[in-house]
Amino acid sequence: MLRYVARRVLNMVPLLFGVSLVSFLVIQLSPGDFLAEIRLNPVVSGDTVEQMRRNFGLDQPLHIQYLKWLWSILRFDFGYSFAYQVPVGWLIGTRLLNTLILNLAALVIAWMLAVPIGIRAATRQYSWSDNSLSMAAYLGISTPTFFSGLLLLFFAFRTGWLPIGGMTSLDHELLPVGARVLDVARHLIIPATVLGVGAAAGLMRQMRGNLLEVLRQDYVRTAKAKGLAERPVIYKHAVRNAINPLITIFGFEIGGLLSGSAILENVVGWPGLGQLILESVIRKDLYVVMASLMLGSVTLVLGNLIADILLAVADPRIRYD
Amino acid sequence: MVRRASSYLLVAVLALTLLATMAGAGAAPRLPDLPKPGVDTTAPDIGKYGGTFVTSTFSDPRTFNPIVSQDTVSGTVVEGITSALVDQNYVTGEMEPALAESWTLSRDGRTWTFTLRDKLVWSDGQPLTVDDVVFTLEAIFTPGVDGSLRDPLTFRGQRVQWRKLDGRRIQFQTPRDQPPVGLFLRLIAIPIVPKHKLADALGKGGAEFSRTWGLNVNARDMVSSGPFVFQSYTPGQRFILVRNTRYWKVDRNGQRLPYLTRYILQILPNQEASRLRFLAKETDAYEARPAEFAQLKQQERQGNFTVYDGPETFGRTFLVFNQNPAAVKPPKLAWFQDARFRRALAHAIDQNAIIQQVFAGRATLPTSEITVGNKLYYNANLRPYPYGIERAQQLLAEAGYRRGSDGFLRDAQGNVVEFTMITNSGNVDREAIGNLVRQDFTKLGIRVSFVPESFPSLVGKLTGTYNWEAIIIGFTGSLEPGTDARNIWLSSGDLHMWWPKQEKPATQWEAEIDRIFEQLPAELDQAKRKQMYFRFQEIVYENLPMLYFPYLKTQPAIRNTIGNVKLGLQGHTPGLPGWSVPATTTYFKGAYRP
Repeated sequence: MLRYVARRVLNMVPLLFGVSLVSFLVIQLSPGDFLAEIRLNPVVSGDTVEQMRRNFGLDQPLHIQYLKWLWSILRFDFGYSFAYQVPVGWLIGTRLLNTLILNLAALVIAWMLAVPIGIRAATRQYSWSDNSLSMAAYLGISTPTFFSGLLLLFFAFRTGWLPIGGMTSLDHELLPVGARVLDVARHLIIPATVLGVGAAAGLMRQMRGNLLEVLRQDYVRTAKAKGLAERPVIYKHAVRNAINPLITIFGFEIGGLLSGSAILENVVGWPGLGQLILESVIRKDLYVVMASLMLGSVTLVLGNLIADILLAVADPRIRYD
Repeated sequence: MVRRASSYLLVAVLALTLLATMAGAGAAPRLPDLPKPGVDTTAPDIGKYGGTFVTSTFSDPRTFNPIVSQDTVSGTVVEGITSALVDQNYVTGEMEPALAESWTLSRDGRTWTFTLRDKLVWSDGQPLTVDDVVFTLEAIFTPGVDGSLRDPLTFRGQRVQWRKLDGRRIQFQTPRDQPPVGLFLRLIAIPIVPKHKLADALGKGGAEFSRTWGLNVNARDMVSSGPFVFQSYTPGQRFILVRNTRYWKVDRNGQRLPYLTRYILQILPNQEASRLRFLAKETDAYEARPAEFAQLKQQERQGNFTVYDGPETFGRTFLVFNQNPAAVKPPKLAWFQDARFRRALAHAIDQNAIIQQVFAGRATLPTSEITVGNKLYYNANLRPYPYGIERAQQLLAEAGYRRGSDGFLRDAQGNVVEFTMITNSGNVDREAIGNLVRQDFTKLGIRVSFVPESFPSLVGKLTGTYNWEAIIIGFTGSLEPGTDARNIWLSSGDLHMWWPKQEKPATQWEAEIDRIFEQLPAELDQAKRKQMYFRFQEIVYENLPMLYFPYLKTQPAIRNTIGNVKLGLQGHTPGLPGWSVPATTTYFKGAYRP
């Protein structure tokens, strides 16, 4: 197992190298650069723009720029943002925790909803509850996150029960620690619900499908014939097998914990990574985009690895050596 | 004897009282630590102290460094925490003393001497002297420091000279053949930064200085000479400014400004969320969209706010035709360079349809480059081009364009008149305008294809390859185009969009505009400046290098608990953000809210 993990980690290196090269080329070769915005500012002369270009190192040939960036990455120096003139590491760091909290909350909601509901739907196939849950699932999958986000915001406005977006209230700094946690939790409800319910919809369908397939197997029929009660049959035997593919999905979701949902964050005003990355891509803030792409790739690959390890742990039939 | 003495006493007492009142009546307000503070004269009321004003902005600031700041949101923070040598009154447009209390001009007209107020201090108590002004200027010109403050202080490649005379006086000298008045206007834009806080960073070089006072700044390192002091910034959420207890300005009664205790800006990227928060009374101000004006008016009582039929912005949106012979070939070049062609098309644009359909009625008919929002210089003598397809067709016919039997317009050589119009995709207003305009031109028999494209691609064409035919685009404006729009209107300018970087002016009228823009900085007399700007607008109106679209109105909504809301000339606010509410004199009318 350990050798397997080591091999996977080593494989990451050429992969990340390839990802960084392709990303760099794509950003640089697309039309325009960071200075496009300021070129259209009538107060700024062309000479000043040229000077800025030199300051940012954008006048160097592409391969020089790439190698310089690579060299600093290897020393964990992620460079400076053009727009904000702060270290990229700091910039991303301020938003990282927020995105993590949101995605974790959404993950918990999604799984806690999907698994029991999926099981219930599978065990009562084609019943009224199954059909209505499937209907809800379809609605959940097809509703865009910004729409449900806006709806919930409007609901919050009308009823006054929930804060209208944001992550903290005005006097957050003045609250004691416990109240601060509660404050963030209250603000978390709307975005986490939107993301969680949306994800739960798809997962539920998965769970239901997997379980139905397993319930048709011979060994399940044998267990029932043996006289085992319904509950242990389902939970001890069937679900444990049905949940295998979902473990892989879970691993992928861990890989996606740091990817922000830019649209939702924009709609509810959650200060997360997604918004930052989207803005930077549009503005072509080179080093921020590169750092976030590398971050995304690393977490994705690690997520895959975790998924495979979890699978080996859960299913004794799977061995890697 | 006693009566005599008491009558003498009476006279003496009366005389003394009279003297005292006379002395008091003539004296300007003074503060114990500041002998001659600036006095605000624009605010209608005397306010009360205390309160928090909460407003919203649409994105994070990029930096808190006044020298490097270039975007709007950073600019709003910078305005709140800095002062400049002089200021421009946001209602009348006149120059007012700010950090400098007075100035003189030398006999040869090239040297200005400014005197700072006595005993000025930063918010941490350190004295503010000419050393700080000199430091600011040095920082601006240090290589490696990004930012656009260099350009206002450079005249045709030569930078302005400065010299410290003593702790309170500084002298500016403009290059030999450059008149110095423009300097004045440009000094408004130069925020003075503290030497005692930033000298170390500057010593490490321009790049390091550009990064100081960035978003990751420690609040203790920032000191202010403006109405407010920076307190905190939470990324993606809000930033908080608090009252500067050492600010140099007082109200008419001698009370030190500002009145507000805290000024909070929430960062709300989404317009819907911003509106909902305002209606839920979580923020005190909201910049409404044109279509929301009518609805908001009905909610005024319930929400305890007032929505104003705000002034028009300085910004203008327009259609430009490419007249650059290096980029466009005949026959198109001939059409675009023909002023009669452009005038005819101006008549064909249905401006009222645009006002109604795109802006829900919240816009004004356009005339020329300076919008009606600029109360100082707008030329009201010009009448908007009246809408008339027949008039347009008549003008085209006079210029030699004929409509064929197939319905298409042809020039004198028989070429079908067709061109491609572009704009930046994602800008809903411009896309809507483009569609309406395309329909208008089709009525003349012109084949127009309208293609929104990505912003970077657009900029690349406008400033790099010049490979475009017609563009719909817009600029934000300012009070003084003579200072801030030189790159657009000088024929040698980079942003002289229809034919940039000319070696010498291509036409008579462009030459005349060049002359006006050269003379403007020299002219001290406000009335003469106005005449020059009037003539400038006439020239643009007649020759139409840009065909203008309606001037957009603003409709700011402000909570009734906020006092001293006075909408001035949009685009210049002495206090804090968004449009026209000066936070320096804003006060909280309601029950005290900490």
